[in-house]
Amino acid sequence: MIVVRRKPIDEILKMVGRHTRVMLVGCNTCAAVSLAGGQKEVDTLIELLSLAASRKGFSVEFSDAILERQCEPEFIEKLDSQGYDAILSLGCGAGVATLAGDNDKPVYPALDTLFIGSAQGFASWQAECSACGSCVLGETCGICPTTRCAKGILNGPCGGVKDGTCELGDRPCAWVEIYDRLESLGRIDDFGKTMPAKDNSISARCCEWDMTKEGDDS
Amino acid sequence: MSNIPPHKASEADKDRVFAPCRARCPVHIDVPGYLSAVAEGRFTDALEIVMQRNPLPSVCGRVCLRPCEEGCRRCNLDEPVAIAALKRAAADHGAYPLPRPMGTRPERVAIIGSGPTGLTAAHDLAQLGMKVTLFEEKPKLGGMLRYGIPNYRLPDDALDRDIGHIVSLGVETITGVRVGRDLNLDELAQTFDAVLIAAGLQGSRSVPIDGAHLPQVMTALDFLERSASGEKLDLGERVVVVGGGNVAMDVARTAIRQHAQSVDVICLESRDEMPASEHEIEDATLEGANVHCSWGPHAVIGDENVCALDTVRCTSIFDSEKRFAPEFDESELRRFEADTIILAIGQSADVGDLGINLTHRGSPIVDPVTLRTSHEGIYAAGDVVTGPTRIIDAIAHGHRAAAAIFGALVDDWSLLRELDLENTVLGEIPPHMSEMLETRRRIQMETVPFYEAIKNWGEIEEGYTEYEAAREAQRCLGCTTGARLAQEKCASCLSCMRVCPHGAPGVHVGGYMYFDMEACHACGTCASACPGSAISIEGCSPDEMVLRVQRALASPTIDQTIAFVCGHTRNALETLDPNARIVTVSCLLRVDESTVLQAFRSGAGRVAFSECDTGTCRFPHALKLVAQRERSIVSALTQIGMGDSFRIVGPASDEEAPS
Ligand SMILES: Cc1cc2nc3c(=O)[nH]c(=O)nc-3n(C[C@H](O)[C@H](O)[C@H](O)COP(=O)(O)OP(=O)(O)OC[C@H]3O[C@@H](n4cnc5c(N)ncnc54)[C@H](O)[C@@H]3O)c2cc1C
Ligand code: SF4
Ligand code: SF4
Ligand code: SF4
Repeated sequence: MIVVRRKPIDEILKMVGRHTRVMLVGCNTCAAVSLAGGQKEVDTLIELLSLAASRKGFSVEFSDAILERQCEPEFIEKLDSQGYDAILSLGCGAGVATLAGDNDKPVYPALDTLFIGSAQGFASWQAECSACGSCVLGETCGICPTTRCAKGILNGPCGGVKDGTCELGDRPCAWVEIYDRLESLGRIDDFGKTMPAKDNSISARCCEWDMTKEGDDS
Repeated sequence: MSNIPPHKASEADKDRVFAPCRARCPVHIDVPGYLSAVAEGRFTDALEIVMQRNPLPSVCGRVCLRPCEEGCRRCNLDEPVAIAALKRAAADHGAYPLPRPMGTRPERVAIIGSGPTGLTAAHDLAQLGMKVTLFEEKPKLGGMLRYGIPNYRLPDDALDRDIGHIVSLGVETITGVRVGRDLNLDELAQTFDAVLIAAGLQGSRSVPIDGAHLPQVMTALDFLERSASGEKLDLGERVVVVGGGNVAMDVARTAIRQHAQSVDVICLESRDEMPASEHEIEDATLEGANVHCSWGPHAVIGDENVCALDTVRCTSIFDSEKRFAPEFDESELRRFEADTIILAIGQSADVGDLGINLTHRGSPIVDPVTLRTSHEGIYAAGDVVTGPTRIIDAIAHGHRAAAAIFGALVDDWSLLRELDLENTVLGEIPPHMSEMLETRRRIQMETVPFYEAIKNWGEIEEGYTEYEAAREAQRCLGCTTGARLAQEKCASCLSCMRVCPHGAPGVHVGGYMYFDMEACHACGTCASACPGSAISIEGCSPDEMVLRVQRALASPTIDQTIAFVCGHTRNALETLDPNARIVTVSCLLRVDESTVLQAFRSGAGRVAFSECDTGTCRFPHALKLVAQRERSIVSALTQIGMGDSFRIVGPASDEEAPS
């Protein structure tokens, strides 16, 4: 799932403060699941922005809408934004982009898109994937070095690891975790096999994926 | 296929799943609904909920025989919630609704008798806009509530509050008129579109024994009525009461207040078989009555004046088919000296003068569904039809009569149909949940000690204070009022599953959530965590919270503080700014960010969270989430320069919590 987080209010207000009627659009898929873009967060943000705007002397009117998934044109079609002069999206980057592409008015992001991650219990997520386009999780027992190693190195660990902790001090060393997991699966012999450099051009070049185009189906 | 999910009540079905307390109440009062209002100190809201089904809250809060409490799911845990006493608290501390009949209608209905049956029917029909006239033989309204139940259990002012509200709906009352004697039923039937006979049981059973005709042999109803009317009776020193039911206990205790020196209660039943409630027997004994079981009246001794009652041993009461057929051993005799004998051995219908068809017991013959007698437009309900019951049964019958009369006169049977809707009863607390729930004893109500109580007619039970009532109501598990899911809003995020302490939410294959009602105890944690606002908990929807804040803020001043106070700690209330407007909640988790922000928008200058004492916390699992909520509020307000406007108050001191 894509994990998102609300931007600071000031930053949001800078974008929408100059408009008079703004529609906040939530997304009931990943953004809701990461507790930042569902109905509740839309309602809260409206209250917060209204309060902030009135303190700054802006007169902005806010209203709400929820889409099942903002990244799908068919869901967006249902959105009636007539009479609004801006849209504030509580979706991930893909949602903002899709809304913006489908609209004649400015669309602003209320959230920052953080990563593709997994839930660690209530209101807590772990980054798991950076959408690099050339997955190595098979070699690393499901722990992504590109995502979870601070340096993203493919043949770790580096010399900065201390007692299993990354030299940044904020996370366990991904490579120590990979080592432990290989060992527990009886695959310790695979450790240290040099992985070839990833083809970074894949993610850079892969700006769309269209199975209907000839030559694109694999 | 093994992965077919078990059938769970759909959200629509859930409306007819009743908490056992509600299911057992003959009028199905929304018990958990009003208890949750009381738990939050919202007595007027609670009273309104009660009065949707029961127009006599002040009466029933005191003397209802409480079938609901026997079913309370807490029975298996510690003891039932004090449901009736909390109804009284709602009536004592809440404001009665303003009389607002639904328009006016042309139909005119006459009601004979102003006991609970007649009063309820009058209430319902007047509320529906009909013109109701109540005919009552006695000088005042209330039936057995006024002339039967003694004042020390139900004082007149408590009764008058309920009656006052009913009359204020526009009910015309004519007292001192006995229909059948002063007016005849046919005349009434011609003047009115419908007539309801709600005459109760005004006749008294007697025993065919020697001396029963003597002037010092009285009936319970006559004795209680004269006492209730303020008459000072000369009973002599020794009073013998015959009967083993609640009426006999009322008679005994009334005789003590009428200055009898000794009161002996004799009954056919053994102690275990006595029909009187255990606490009534205990109270009567405490006040000085001597209860003698398994004796049957044999002869009243005396020429002009009574001097004793001779009794014989009663060896059994029922035959093998459980029919009343007492057997006596006439060789075992016992004499009870007496100056007055009062018979409390049952009542009977006394409507022979009305000229309608009666059963062999003297009750009007009615259709069991519509309560119509053999005469067009004439109905009968309450004890006169059913024989002796309880107030709440009489109220239920009053509702039925009103619904049937409305149906017949307006040709709209929906109200009657609604009364017969089926309901299912929520099951017992699942074992995994009872293990997690703390036992908490019922809060004891202050009472006047018996040695003081017998000196006068004053009410013995003093009622709960507002604080005690809230605390007691917080023992309610909120059965059936918990999580309801609006499936279309759910994002299947599983947050509800992750935060619920009781494993009530679950997920089906396909990502569809469900909630197990039996496991849910309406804490609201899941609703507070749900990003889709897909979960609702009765009584604390966002709209209701906004309304409560606005009510609390009515005419705010600029630096007004709105304090959300967890109702579990009194200390907090005392440490707050004395001018703060208080909104009491069952758990601070029910106050979400939007509610706080809206409070500012509604004019509050500051908002405070007054936390509970962890020792009394009802939902300890919520503490961590409340702290998280507080951090999130502080962070949001700080971002817009209002960080100082939010305050967290601890339970015992008003130190500001570090943010
Ligand atoms: C002493 C006593 C104590 C009780 N205590 C309790 C208790 O604690 N809890 C509980 O739940 N139940 C109690 N009950 C039972 C309860 O009071 C009755 O079930 C209930 O009052 C029946 O209501 P009703 O309206 O059918 O009749 P009633 O209350 O008897 O009212 C009937 C009314 O009709 C009037 N009437 C009769 N005939 C005519 C006529 N021809 N014209 C005009 N008016 C007429 C009567 O004067 C009376 O006012 C008690 C009963 C008694 C006798
Ligand atoms: S706990 Fe409350 S809702 Fe549940 S049965 Fe008892 S009184 Fe009723
Ligand atoms: S918390 Fe709300 S949105 Fe998430 S699964 Fe539960 S009901 Fe659905
Ligand atoms: S979190 Fe509370 S309200 Fe929600 S399902 Fe669980 S017990 Fe019920």
